[in-house]
Amino acid sequence: MNMNMQQREEKQLEATLQAILNKVNDLKGAIQALITKLETEHETINWPTFLDNYAILSGHLTGLSKILQAELASSLRSRIVLPLQLSCERDEALVRLTEGRVPACTHDLVPDLLRTKPEPQAEQRLQQFNHKASTLSYDTAQKQVAQFAKVVSHVWEIISKGREDWEGESMRSAAMQPTHIIGDTHALVTAVGTGKGLRPGMPALGPGPGVGATLGPRGPAPPLGPSAPALPKAPSAIKTNIKAANQIHPYQR
Amino acid sequence: MSAANAAPITATDSLSQALKANIIPNQEYLLQGSVLDSAVEVLLHRLRGLCDNVDAGPETFNDQEVCFSLRDPNQQAAPLMLRVRKALDVRDMPYQLRYIGQPDLGDKNRPTVVRSSLDIACNGMLLEFLNELGCRIEFEYSVKGYMFRKGRMKITVAKVFKISQSSMTPEPISQSYLVELSVLAPQGQDAIAEDMRAFADQLRPLVHLDKIDYKRLGHMSVT
Repeated sequence: MNMNMQQREEKQLEATLQAILNKVNDLKGAIQALITKLETEHETINWPTFLDNYAILSGHLTGLSKILQAELASSLRSRIVLPLQLSCERDEALVRLTEGRVPACTHDLVPDLLRTKPEPQAEQRLQQFNHKASTLSYDTAQKQVAQFAKVVSHVWEIISKGREDWEGESMRSAAMQPTHIIGDTHALVTAVGTGKGLRPGMPALGPGPGVGATLGPRGPAPPLGPSAPALPKAPSAIKTNIKAANQIHPYQR
Repeated sequence: MSAANAAPITATDSLSQALKANIIPNQEYLLQGSVLDSAVEVLLHRLRGLCDNVDAGPETFNDQEVCFSLRDPNQQAAPLMLRVRKALDVRDMPYQLRYIGQPDLGDKNRPTVVRSSLDIACNGMLLEFLNELGCRIEFEYSVKGYMFRKGRMKITVAKVFKISQSSMTPEPISQSYLVELSVLAPQGQDAIAEDMRAFADQLRPLVHLDKIDYKRLGHMSVT
């Protein structure tokens, strides 16, 4: 039972270490790629590519810190690394392991490599800031926050306004003007279908009834209505419908 | 030669025979839409590319339509609506008498409106005849625009004008052209409706041709 648990823990630890190692290797690869780029293409590289590389780095760092924060790494927290022996002599195995970066486990390197807290200088500055923050009066802090928020919102306004202008312009040129209005469709269809909008203002003795009274007996002589604009001779809807009726064969079942 | 004693074939006979054979195109499949005046040129251009009868430019038409109603003396049935159309631009064309039935929109799967439709070509006596029958003029308008054909489909792009008494210039109903895609066919030929839908899709996004129920629209705007 106990053995089993121990084995499981060991396995877990190994998996975690492997994951961390992979991430660190990814990060290392990305840094190397960036350095190579800077060394070989420093004359042609443009900002977007450069920033893309930074984005890759930051992505790897985020992945790494996620693993370290996860529950899986909790067993790592309780582990202690104790330097047992320091030596100034060159350790070939160490050199191979670190790809030539660390030739020996010396006194000036170990404190940096095994550090778990910030550097003393950084820690001191951090303390200074913490002290300053704690002694600040509430009102002053509020005032400063408000001021800062104001500046930020101002900058935000400028940016969004600029974006609006830019997008509006590109939209105007790219987007098509509307070609139809649904309201017009409805108005036209209802007018033709039910006479809505055509009925009022039509007195009983307008040209309509007049047409019926005057044109009836005379046969198909003069055109209806008040005006007959001259247009090229063309078939009316009547003719079309008759044609359509003659062409039914392709769909006959 | 047929036998001398055989009854002569009357018009009624041939009509009932045609009815029985279901070859009378009395169903109209219809899609409607509109296009703004500013975009009508683009639409005409596209239709010229798509349609059959465009060798000599689009065909124009200019018609006047008068809608008559015949009321039931007992006020029980809804009035019967009859439409008379006359070409204003071609003088020797006959009058067109047209009956249009209730539009049937069907469910969502039906691609077009279907309504029964009967067209008869008549001479000028028609108006007098309708008057004598007791028909009343309900409204009238004129339509002027372009007509295209694509197989059996008819596409009209036309401006609808209110006929005004005061001035000589007719007054347009709106700032848009009415666009209609229609086919007349005998009953049960629903395959054509699919063709129409496919054709309507080719006019998007310029024009959205759709099933429109003007009856419901009319009620909506009243309330």
